[in-house]
Amino acid sequence: MRNEGRWEPVARWLFVTPAVGYLLLFFGLPVAENVVMSLRDYTATTFYTGDAPFVGPRNYFETLSSDQFPQALLTTVVFIVGSLAGQFTLGLALALFFARAFPLGGVLRSLLLLPWLLPMVVSATTWRWMLDTDTGVVNHALRALHLVPSGVPWLTDTSGALTSVILVNIWVGIPFNTVILHGGLRDIPTQLYEAAELDGAGPLTTFRHITWPLLRPVAGVVLLLGAIYTVRVLDIILVMTGGGPADATQTLATRAYDLSFQQFEFGRGAALGNVLVLVSLVFAVVHLRAGRRALHG
Amino acid sequence: MPPAVRPQARRITALLGSVALVLAAAGCGGGAGSGSVSGRVTSLTALDYYTDASEHAQWSERLTACGRTAGVRIEHRSVPGASLVPRVLRQASSRTLPDLLMLDNPDVQQIARTGALTPLDRYGVDTGGFTKSILAAGTYHGKVYGLAPTVSTIALFYNKDMLAEAGVGVPRTWDELKAAAARLTRPGRYGMAVDANATFEGTWQFLPFLWSNGGDERKLDTPQAAQALRLWVDLVGSGSMSKSVLNWTQADVHDQFVAGRTAMMLNGPWRISAMERTRNLHWGVAPIPVRAPGQTLVTPLGGEVWTVPRSSSEARRQKAARVLACLTDSTHMLATAKQYFTVPSRTAVASRYTEQVPTMRAFVRSVERARARTAELGVRWPRAATGIYTAVQAALTGERTPEEALRRAQQSTTGP
Amino acid sequence: MAEGRTARRAPARGRLSTIAGIVLLALMLFPVYWMVNASLQPAGGVLRGDWFPRHPDLSGYATALRDQGRALVTSLVVALGSAVLSLVLAAPAAYALALLPLRGGAPVMFGVLVSQTVPGIVVANALYGAYSDLGLLNSYGGLILADSTAGVPFAIIVLRAAMASIPREVIEAARVDGAGQLRVFASIVLPVSRNALITSGLFAFLFAWSDFLFALTLNTTETVRPITLGLYDYVGAHSNQWNAIMATAVLAAVPAAALLVAAQRHVTAGITDGALD
Repeated sequence: MRNEGRWEPVARWLFVTPAVGYLLLFFGLPVAENVVMSLRDYTATTFYTGDAPFVGPRNYFETLSSDQFPQALLTTVVFIVGSLAGQFTLGLALALFFARAFPLGGVLRSLLLLPWLLPMVVSATTWRWMLDTDTGVVNHALRALHLVPSGVPWLTDTSGALTSVILVNIWVGIPFNTVILHGGLRDIPTQLYEAAELDGAGPLTTFRHITWPLLRPVAGVVLLLGAIYTVRVLDIILVMTGGGPADATQTLATRAYDLSFQQFEFGRGAALGNVLVLVSLVFAVVHLRAGRRALHG
Repeated sequence: MPPAVRPQARRITALLGSVALVLAAAGCGGGAGSGSVSGRVTSLTALDYYTDASEHAQWSERLTACGRTAGVRIEHRSVPGASLVPRVLRQASSRTLPDLLMLDNPDVQQIARTGALTPLDRYGVDTGGFTKSILAAGTYHGKVYGLAPTVSTIALFYNKDMLAEAGVGVPRTWDELKAAAARLTRPGRYGMAVDANATFEGTWQFLPFLWSNGGDERKLDTPQAAQALRLWVDLVGSGSMSKSVLNWTQADVHDQFVAGRTAMMLNGPWRISAMERTRNLHWGVAPIPVRAPGQTLVTPLGGEVWTVPRSSSEARRQKAARVLACLTDSTHMLATAKQYFTVPSRTAVASRYTEQVPTMRAFVRSVERARARTAELGVRWPRAATGIYTAVQAALTGERTPEEALRRAQQSTTGP
Repeated sequence: MAEGRTARRAPARGRLSTIAGIVLLALMLFPVYWMVNASLQPAGGVLRGDWFPRHPDLSGYATALRDQGRALVTSLVVALGSAVLSLVLAAPAAYALALLPLRGGAPVMFGVLVSQTVPGIVVANALYGAYSDLGLLNSYGGLILADSTAGVPFAIIVLRAAMASIPREVIEAARVDGAGQLRVFASIVLPVSRNALITSGLFAFLFAWSDFLFALTLNTTETVRPITLGLYDYVGAHSNQWNAIMATAVLAAVPAAALLVAAQRHVTAGITDGALD
């Protein structure tokens, strides 16, 4: 135990072993298993008979060449880009707003976190009801303000539904962006702003030449983490639209769920899941390389 | 022991004077199944999709009563309709199937094919005398896997007050339907409501229009099918039908109707008891309109069958089969039919039914012509059904023209 | 808490900012208000509620508790289990990764970070088959293990960051006094890392409480049905009982709201540390 003995390195590893074992079992193994599954033909009878013949890359051909794949890919891209743009812009605006000191500022900022902490199923259920075309409060308000004559078909129109799930995902993501960006803003030395003020720089110039350059590394991390979270979002879409109408809100993640757990095509679900892993991996590599290097100098 | 038919239900039945639906029933006498019972099975699990609170309670009552005859307690669970089949498939794979399983009749062959169900002949359950179409829907590879206590179909329900106020007669053709729906539409109220959900329930509601116009699930890209789809597109396009039909279930459609938010709707007779409980709602029911006068209305055969899944032990299956036999014996069949305004699926019981409740005669006749969804395609039906609701969704959202939507549906139905 | 840099604004502008802040917050939290408002409406087919619950009606809660009470307990058990499991696995690992000269520590940390990017549906896809074979479907243990896939990496990251800031001298001193690794870990490192432990435990709890995907895919019966799944099925089954549905949603939201109010500081710290370490 005491001095560096032969057992010392082993003892150290004993601290890490349970966690590493868990991570291998619950991340490493599933990822590997998915590759194997994607090369087999699963049907509803497979789990009963244990019979899943090897079919090579057929699942990939079928999944990637199907009508739904390009649509789901496009929807995923629009969903990610739209969500990130909205979350980041509004999150940054709120972070800048809360960067100023004012009474109750801290409390208000903390309460702002609620949407991010709520279970997504809860948020999505509430929004689904609020966005109902005929009876929802959103259209009710819009009609009362005479902004639209009959109401926006939020969940009953293909572009409306995609817009709706993006809006809700933005709503969920704003607090996260605000908190991180707020932290980033606080790390910018005050003297820089004082100097700028002495030079007579306006707020816009200050933002462009001081705030933004110094906030960029943090902004990069926020955007990448946002992308990683968004690519896997399932709850919001399943609860609000179920992927519809007419598959308009079907993303790669919901398609993979649908293939595996609704249609029982685990092989094809796994193939699509692996595409999803690749997409995430690209984000992850960028995140780990560029993002962190910039952040830590 | 059998749950008594409520006096109220009889009274309600009498209100059904003007009922004229479209389906068929034929068959002969019923009888309880026997069952060699062993082991000490004291409770069974049952799964269905009767999630509506009162419907769930009524089925619990019936299952309890039938469980008592077999000497078991029944744990009764209900899940939403659209999630039943995926759940059953997962339960089959994880060997956690319930002892008694209710399935919508077009799903039986698909589930039986996976090996999750057991044929009923080995338990000595009486499968005689059933209406041919419903027995066929519960049969796979020559063996009967599921039996339905009652059968039914859908019809056009309308709010009498609203029609009278607007001076509109009950529509018989598609043109009349469109005109009536338009005249019945007011702020906060639609003329017509259907279920155009992206589920098999949405497909089921579209079938009367497709079939009556000569459309066929084996070949979806026909002008007849396009005409039917065009009707729904026009109803939504003119504002007579909410675009929300894309998301509504049949239960939602019913809720809209009883809340006075739609003047007409497509729904099934099992909603009648709930409608009767709604004060100040004066409703009527009529056959679903056809495109041209003289066309014959063809509606889908509805009805849920009970099955005995491949559950943990033979002793449990034997017990479950006895409960199933009880659910489908003539007494319970009759009671169920009276409770939900459906039609007993044994022809002999159905004729006794019409003697006891003459107002249901039109209903019984209407079920006579109903077509089973799996009659033509068998286990390939789910694929066609998916194609149909996908086409409906694509057309109602304006993503594609009805012709284009159906062409794609046909491709995906016949594709790999 | 010391606020930002421009603390020398005039009080009038500060008050104006407060008002603006309250308006912004009200806009952001309107859906939460609407959820609570709807949950207090009377039962029935009323599809559009009033703007205010003028006659608060608790029947929605009565129905929700009757139908979903068990699911709430299930969620509580699973979330607590996952929080405990996450800490038990993560704390020793974080200690070794932060403070011990560990050969191969860097790849482990890299693995922890990469694991966070694996989409849940991929894990669920593979776990379903494995759980089916192992009989872990429909079990508390199975769901707790799966739900911890969010908590464990997160806790390792947060705890490692906190432990790395413990002065080495403190540890060295204890070692010189003859304390073993385990002693150092248990009696020095853990107590000092109290805040980080609370933060990561809290988040592991919330992650598991909010989980929907694993609850949806790894359960085939009603045995283990957490509240998120209960709410989802409820919407599908009782679309006309919005007051009960919204009451269920409120009940499912309570832990998040309570923890936010009670442990504000930990929540903010958790988000920042988890993301920016």
